[in-house]
Amino acid sequence: MQTIPAIEQFKSLKASDKIAQGLAVLRQALRRGDIDPDGLDRVGRLLVRHKEDLPKQPAPLRVLIVGQCTTTWLVPALTAVAWGRGRACDVRDGGYDNVIQDLAAQQTPPDVVIVLPWHQRLLGGGSSGGDRPTQQRVDDELPLLRQAWESVRKMGSRLVQIGYDWENFGAAGHHLSAREGGSVCTVRKVNETIRSALPEGAFFVDLEQISGEIGRRAFYDPRGYHWTKQPFSRLGVARLCDHLWAAIRALTTGPKKVLVLDLDNTLWGGVVGELGPLGVALGDNPEGESFRAFQKQIRGLAARGIVLAACSKNNPQDAREVFEKNTDMVLKLTDFAAFEASWDAKPIAIERIAKTLRLGLDSFVFFDDNPAEREHVLQMLPDVEVVPVPTDPADYVRALHAGLWFEAAAVTEADKARVEQYRQENERRQAEEAAGSVEAYLETLQMVADVRDLDESDMERAVQLLGKTNQFNLTTRRHTAEAVRKMLSRKGAFGITLRLADKFGDAGLVSLVLAVPDPEAGPSTLRLDTWLMSCRVIARTTEEFLMNHVVKKAAALGYKRVIGDFFPTAKNELVRNFYDRMGYKVESEESDGSRRYTVNVADYSVHPSPIQYKS
Amino acid sequence: MDQTLARLQNVFRQVFDDDELVISPTTSAADVDAWDSINHVNLVLAVEREFGVRLSTSGIAGLKNVGELAKMLDAQTANRAKV
Repeated sequence: MQTIPAIEQFKSLKASDKIAQGLAVLRQALRRGDIDPDGLDRVGRLLVRHKEDLPKQPAPLRVLIVGQCTTTWLVPALTAVAWGRGRACDVRDGGYDNVIQDLAAQQTPPDVVIVLPWHQRLLGGGSSGGDRPTQQRVDDELPLLRQAWESVRKMGSRLVQIGYDWENFGAAGHHLSAREGGSVCTVRKVNETIRSALPEGAFFVDLEQISGEIGRRAFYDPRGYHWTKQPFSRLGVARLCDHLWAAIRALTTGPKKVLVLDLDNTLWGGVVGELGPLGVALGDNPEGESFRAFQKQIRGLAARGIVLAACSKNNPQDAREVFEKNTDMVLKLTDFAAFEASWDAKPIAIERIAKTLRLGLDSFVFFDDNPAEREHVLQMLPDVEVVPVPTDPADYVRALHAGLWFEAAAVTEADKARVEQYRQENERRQAEEAAGSVEAYLETLQMVADVRDLDESDMERAVQLLGKTNQFNLTTRRHTAEAVRKMLSRKGAFGITLRLADKFGDAGLVSLVLAVPDPEAGPSTLRLDTWLMSCRVIARTTEEFLMNHVVKKAAALGYKRVIGDFFPTAKNELVRNFYDRMGYKVESEESDGSRRYTVNVADYSVHPSPIQYKS
Repeated sequence: MDQTLARLQNVFRQVFDDDELVISPTTSAADVDAWDSINHVNLVLAVEREFGVRLSTSGIAGLKNVGELAKMLDAQTANRAKV
């Protein structure tokens, strides 16, 4: 039988009296989306058994489920879904078809009551006769529900009312079922009636819609109803509980307010720093259309009052240029209340956004195509919800909606005005501050560098990088393959490539260094002709690691001094202080901002880096 | 049969969350405290997943103990092997 790593970890942590850590492990597994519907039941039962160990502050939310069918499976699943969203819940349920009696028996009022009807009376025969007309059937259901709602009101609890559903179209057949008298028609009528009769402030969970999205064949398991009067499959239970939690959240803390979006490969295809504002994928082709469709969904959320924030590792001007110059962009700069384009770690940037908007991180949802960034945020910001983003941009819209982050009881004018308020607030923002340590995170990435001398096998990729790297490029020399070969043929010259991999995947060949002896600059002097790196691996100590390597190699070749140049361009502001960071001293500076740096090999102090050499 | 029983024991331990649980062909619901009607269904679903089969409502209704369940599983997996 399949073991669930998080459960095994929980057990061993529990054995060594670290139950809080064990519960945190379960929470992270749920947040990552690692737990399938079967696992949800098992994790949930574990949580229910350790209810007393869940955090007491804030007090666990008391939820009561009463149903016209058995609801046992919903208890662990809802407990687990809520815990994955960071909320401890005390979920209990009533007996089979015992709604009114169960509600009357409550000693302490629950915070939330969930009412789950089933259709045995609505669609069945029973003592009231099988030949009732549709309207009669609908009317017969309402008294029970009204009585339940009244009990909930008296207790002062919040109400989540689930709708009715049909599992199959019934004797009328597909075509006639949706007409007067058919099962589908009857279910839709009763749902409509409930919707308009519901007391104000209640949340209606439309079961017919939910099962339809999944597909009723997968959502229901006919055996379940016959065995224990529970109609749902494991998948159905899991999905229903996602919706129940969204309903509870809408009624208690309210929906999420902020959607934080990465830019490169999230809002458009490709990297703007490499392709330029007009080169990114947004045009009339399948890839471009996928990204535009995603942007349209986001614009719809913004119109509803969801606050948008951009969070991208980019030069601010590069990031903005796409919005300003690319006419295929659906989203405009003015749609964003906060715009973070910097080279800081994302958790730091997101905290800065929260500060700017003066909104709690627990109202944030983060969408980024890069799994390493997502993991970083998952680890550092426990309050921020992180969307598990699929690799295909065509699937982004589904992924965004799957979490039900923005399910709201109602949309108010205040919601719509909020976006504008936050944007204005943002414009008042003063100097940025970056703080916080990321060493612990970098350690967890388990980065491995494959460092090689440049040879013919990598020449093509090296020349490609020379041609397109703009941002992390000290000299922006666009050498041809021929020029590189000539350079490397000199005695004492060398080229180095670095490939970086981490536990999430392999970034490939990401950095290139070309070094040549420079007798004119002084005896035993090595000059770094080219130093460039892909921005994919920025802020991971890749450059520190590679500099350690280069200086060591220079020493081994008998060099006493290493020199390097910085030539400013419109794009490489990022590396203006690269050599300063590496411990070099400025030797000379030109009027155009060019600088020459130098370091004595004997004086170089090795930079710390968690990156390991590939064995 | 012995191998089936060993796999079943693993499933039982996970479903009842009891790493010490030992089952034999004569074990029945009466012998395990937590074996109520709900856990019975949890057990059936877990067994189905472990053995990659679907158990029929009629088949399950007639089962008296673990030995009969193992026999039924062996028969179902043998049929599948022939196909």
